[in-house]
This record gives sequence, C-alpha cells and structure tokens, in this order.
Amino acid sequence: MAITYEPLVTTTLSSATATVTFGSISSAYTDLVLIANWGTSVNGDGTLMRFNSDTGSNYSDTELYGTGSSAGSQRRSNGAYIDITRAIGGDGSTIYTNSIISVNNYSNTTTYKTALIRANLATGTYAGVAALAGLWRSTSAITSVTILAASGNLLSGSTFTLYGILKA
Amino acid sequence: MANIKRANASGITKSGTAISDVPDAPTIGAVSDLSTGDTASVAYTAATTGGAATTFTATSSPGGFTGTGSSPITVSGLSVGTAYTFTVTASNSTGSATSGASSSLTLAAVGKYESIASTTVGAGGSSSISFTSIPATYTHLQVRALCQTNRAGYVIDAFTVKFNSDTGSNYSWHTLYGGFDSSPSVTVDVGTSATATRFYWGNSSVSANVFTAVVMDILDYTNTNKYKTIRTLAGFDVNGTAGTGSYGGTVCLSSGNWRNTNAITSIEIASTVSANFTQYTQFALYGIKGS
Repeated sequence: MAITYEPLVTTTLSSATATVTFGSISSAYTDLVLIANWGTSVNGDGTLMRFNSDTGSNYSDTELYGTGSSAGSQRRSNGAYIDITRAIGGDGSTIYTNSIISVNNYSNTTTYKTALIRANLATGTYAGVAALAGLWRSTSAITSVTILAASGNLLSGSTFTLYGILKA
Repeated sequence: MANIKRANASGITKSGTAISDVPDAPTIGAVSDLSTGDTASVAYTAATTGGAATTFTATSSPGGFTGTGSSPITVSGLSVGTAYTFTVTASNSTGSATSGASSSLTLAAVGKYESIASTTVGAGGSSSISFTSIPATYTHLQVRALCQTNRAGYVIDAFTVKFNSDTGSNYSWHTLYGGFDSSPSVTVDVGTSATATRFYWGNSSVSANVFTAVVMDILDYTNTNKYKTIRTLAGFDVNGTAGTGSYGGTVCLSSGNWRNTNAITSIEIASTVSANFTQYTQFALYGIKGS
C-alpha cells in the first residue's frame, strides 16, 4: 500500500495579515485537506476561501450549524467566496477557530469543485460548531487556495497546513 | 581507553580494592529497521574474554544516537533516508571496548495513512461501490469520495452502507442534515434494526457538474470485541438556482452502527432508490495505522 496524506506546506503567521495563499499546488494528488487554526482581529468576522484567485460570483455554500442557543442551516448563492465560518465567526481575541477543509478530486477538469468543511470555535460570542458544503462553479483544476478575513486580519500565530492525498 | 594489565580472571587488587578487568570488545551483529521511522535494532555478541561488562551501548554514526541494554539494542532518534552504521561499546567501571562498525542501514519512510484501493465509475454507471478483501493491517479506515447518482428530481436521497455482505437487520443510524430546500432547516433521522446503515445527501445531479463530497471514518474496524461505529460527513451545494431556484444543497452528519463483532473485510455503498452512480464518481479507501 502506498503512503500518502503528505504535508505539502505549512504557514504560521508571524504577524497579522489579511490573506494566506497556497499557490502552485501540484496536481499529483487526488484530494486536498487544509487543516487550520486561526484567529481573527475582528470579533464575529467571517473567514473566506477562494480558488485560483477567482473573485467572480461563482461560489455558494450550504451550512449546518449549532451555536450556544440554536441549531440550524443556511445557504448562500452567487457569492465571491466560500464562507468557511458563517455561523460561528471569529473571536477577535486569543480564542482561535479550528477547521478541516477537504476538497475531493480537486484537479479533475470535468466537475465543479465541492469543498467539505468542519469548523469549531470553543468559546466566545460566536462560538459553535459547523459543517459546510461549498461549491466553486468551475471545472478547472484547483492550483491555488486563498484564505482571507472578511474585514480584518488573520492573527499572528494562525497556522495553516495543506496536505495532499493520493488514491490507490 | 584504560589499559589495565590483567592479573587474573577477576581483575587485580590495588590497596585492597578489587579492580575489574576491562571488557573485551563485543562483536557487532545484524542491524535492522524497526519500521517506526526513527528506530533501529542493533544486535551484538558479548566477548567471552576480558572483564565482565556492566553496560552495552549502541551508537549511531552519524548522529551519535545511542541505546543501551542487552542484544538487540534499540536506538531511537534516527531519521528516514540517512545511511547509518552502528558500533556497540562494552563498559564497566574500569574501562570500555568498542566493536567494529555494522553494515549500513537506511530507515524507510513509515506510512500512517495509506491508500488501499479506489474505483472510478465509467460511462455506463454503477449501481454500487464495493471494497473487498480489506487488509486487517490498519487501525481505522477512511472512505473519501466525490460522487453523483442519476436519480431525478429535487429529493433527499439516502445511501446505504453494508459490511461483509451482511444483509441482516443489524444496522442503525442517527443522522443530522440541513439545507435542502428554500427554507433551510435541520432534520434528524433515526433508523434501527435496518438492513444497512445509511447517510443522506441530496440529489446533486440536478446540476450536471455538481458532485457530492463524502468523508467516512470507520474506527477500529478489525476489533472483534465491539460493534462497529462509523461517522460520515457528506455535502454538496448547487448554488440554489438549479431547476426551481429553491433547491440549494445538503450537509449531512451521520453516525452509523453495525451490530457485529467481526472484523470488517468488505464495504458496499449503494443508493436506497436503486439509482446508479454516474460517470466520474470516484471512491477511494484509505487505511490509518496506530502507533
């Protein structure tokens, strides 16, 4: 059996920054997994994801979430990004959000790209757990992933590791 | 090293204190990769002459990583891809003696997550996806997929998961899913004593290029003491404008159970409504090792 789930690159922010981009992603794998732990400078700020620097209205997402007081689901269409923390938001302080993002079959050129996202923030006003399915309406192979704060910065100490998984 | 002349088999006496003889050098033996990615086994044979050694120390070169004990000695801290030789030093309170160098050893990379099998559906479609003859050499399994069925209409579909071809009423599930229609809600679905466990996804095929992503974890799948529990995250989004304009997508979290203590050796995934997986659907099975 072939060894896989290879770490491709890790970024740890040494200072607050608005965006983190993983570029020149090899097409040598089947799935991508991005494991992230990050904070936001603005309380309740969203954290967004784009592929291949596409800023067009080609994204949508469906979310299932639970917060301190309720559970629900919501959708958003024709967006310029996938919002990976719609319900739970950033904390704006030292409490960081966890997220595991899977993009299966990311380099195929036949289907649109679907990302599966699990996110959680343990405490704070916008604490909760969420699962999302995000769509990028493009059949292009994904070659870059950008994570950005909606209005503020991603905090120093935030970590992002991108993995590649290759099927048998 | 100290070089004390031997007086007899037990050493010499100086000022009434017994001084042990210096050990003779041990003979280096086989070295082997312990398949952890950072350890090696170093065998040696102690000399039958000289003083009695109280400690045997194996040392790597390069790196100077050491281990002590009786043969074989485990040396830790090594790195994958580096060519190492080892020596073994026998020592006591009087002195020490070192063996010659071992043969060279390069540790191989060790996988904790390995690809086992995959299947991609061709133009004719497929009614089910199966993985058989699953090896028992892992701790957990993970199924990852990007898939679509040819079921028509704006519906929530359910997908069945069976193990070891068991068609008995030995499965159950708890599922939480949301999204779906124009008024997104959260739905809980529970099934007991069913002939398969299941998870849900909506019918992504209402938009031709949209496929559903699935990640399924099957934990401790080879144990023979516990029933088997699986968890699934599945979801898709069709931008909410396909067809009626109200159909958006689905996210599903599911916990399934197979009431059987047998090790899992096969997995079968199918639609509950006899729909086919469409072309380009891709399922892959991975194994995750423990320590």
